[in-house]
Amino acid sequence: MSVRQWCFVVVGSTVLASSLAAQDRDYRAELGGRGAPAAFVNAVAAQVDAAQAAGVPTGPVIDKAFEGWAKRVPAQRVVTALEQVRMRLESGRALSVAAGYAPPPEAMVAGAGEALARGLTEDDVRALIGGAPGPEAAAAGLTVAASMHAQGLERAAAVRAVQDAYGRGVEPAQLFELPSVVADLTGHGMQMGDLARRIMQGGGLPLPPMAGTGQGAGRPGQVPPGPGGQQQGTGKQQRRQ
Amino acid sequence: MVERRGLSGEAHRYLDGHGPLPADPAEREAAEQFAVAVKAFADGLPALGDQVDARVMAAVRSRARPERHVGWRALVEPRAVTLRPALAAAAAVVLVVLSSVLTVLISGGPGSTRPAAAPGTILVRFELRVPQAERVALAGTFNGWSDSSIVFARAGEADQWTVTVALAPGRYQYLFVVDGERWMPDPKAHAQIEDEFGQMNSLLVVGPRGVVRS
Repeated sequence: MSVRQWCFVVVGSTVLASSLAAQDRDYRAELGGRGAPAAFVNAVAAQVDAAQAAGVPTGPVIDKAFEGWAKRVPAQRVVTALEQVRMRLESGRALSVAAGYAPPPEAMVAGAGEALARGLTEDDVRALIGGAPGPEAAAAGLTVAASMHAQGLERAAAVRAVQDAYGRGVEPAQLFELPSVVADLTGHGMQMGDLARRIMQGGGLPLPPMAGTGQGAGRPGQVPPGPGGQQQGTGKQQRRQ
Repeated sequence: MVERRGLSGEAHRYLDGHGPLPADPAEREAAEQFAVAVKAFADGLPALGDQVDARVMAAVRSRARPERHVGWRALVEPRAVTLRPALAAAAAVVLVVLSSVLTVLISGGPGSTRPAAAPGTILVRFELRVPQAERVALAGTFNGWSDSSIVFARAGEADQWTVTVALAPGRYQYLFVVDGERWMPDPKAHAQIEDEFGQMNSLLVVGPRGVVRS
């Protein structure tokens, strides 16, 4: 190999390596740019490195660090939160691997971690991953079930609603419509308990049809009320943006 | 062109149509003989026709095309390059810096938490009514919790603020930041959830068709 070729190889490798490294160093520079002291940045980096070593996505850890710094949360408390996030991600990874995804997609691990954070059980996570038609659906389903539970829907009903959507062949992206359906139905006067009963009795959650897919059972406002529920306008403004 | 060597300047001017016949008889005879010879030669030439100018210009244009592949040839043809190690090292440093800067610019901040600006993004409008505020910002998982990158604008009434953000379908946590100090939840969010710091975040799940909030 000539000197010129060596130079090209060295320059190309350096640029490639620096690009990859920059993605990882990015959060350090950004935290520093926002005034975070080096000690805080290093503490965050230790958690990020630990997450990386454990094979879990670093995004949620980094994001929580930015949130903590932005809110001026004491550094030690931020680090404690980062540890909790990381441990949940590791649990989520283990559940994903046990469900047959090795290595599991980052979105699935993050979704599992979020589901555990919002109060879903490990059994719920297993069911949502195992019952999903694919990894993308599993990741979305975990996130959506966690979100609907956070909206006030009973845990079992939130999981069941997602499983019903799986069974109807709903596309992964369309699963993200479910929290809006819950908001729409409750905004029209349906109580969460009634909605949960309706779901558990197999009523499912109606999804608006996607253009050209023929999926869904109509807009939420067209759905008859579930057992004991009332579908009526409450005067609250409903918006789809 | 007809060879006119040996004629006097006076004869040249006559033959060019710029003067009278030379006064000298010998010169006059030579000039006249030359003129006769030229005429005889000219009479023997074929007629050019009316469209000769157009045909000539068309032929010129067709042959005078610019060479379009010179740049490509310069790139692909082998050539000798002199490389100075110091300059090569300097170029590598410049490329590294440039690469890092581009990476930061493209990622747009603290990275993996920000959704990509994909064609499938949804425009989501956030609204807040807060009296006597000077500045309202939106901070959340979509912008690395920056309290300066997404700023609300006043909408109509003095205490009404609004901002529209393009978000990919997904789940987002966020808060409103009033005057850089007060972190306020969005009462119209899908849910309010614990942020692990003893406070609450607003939660919004954006679907491919948009968001319904009560």
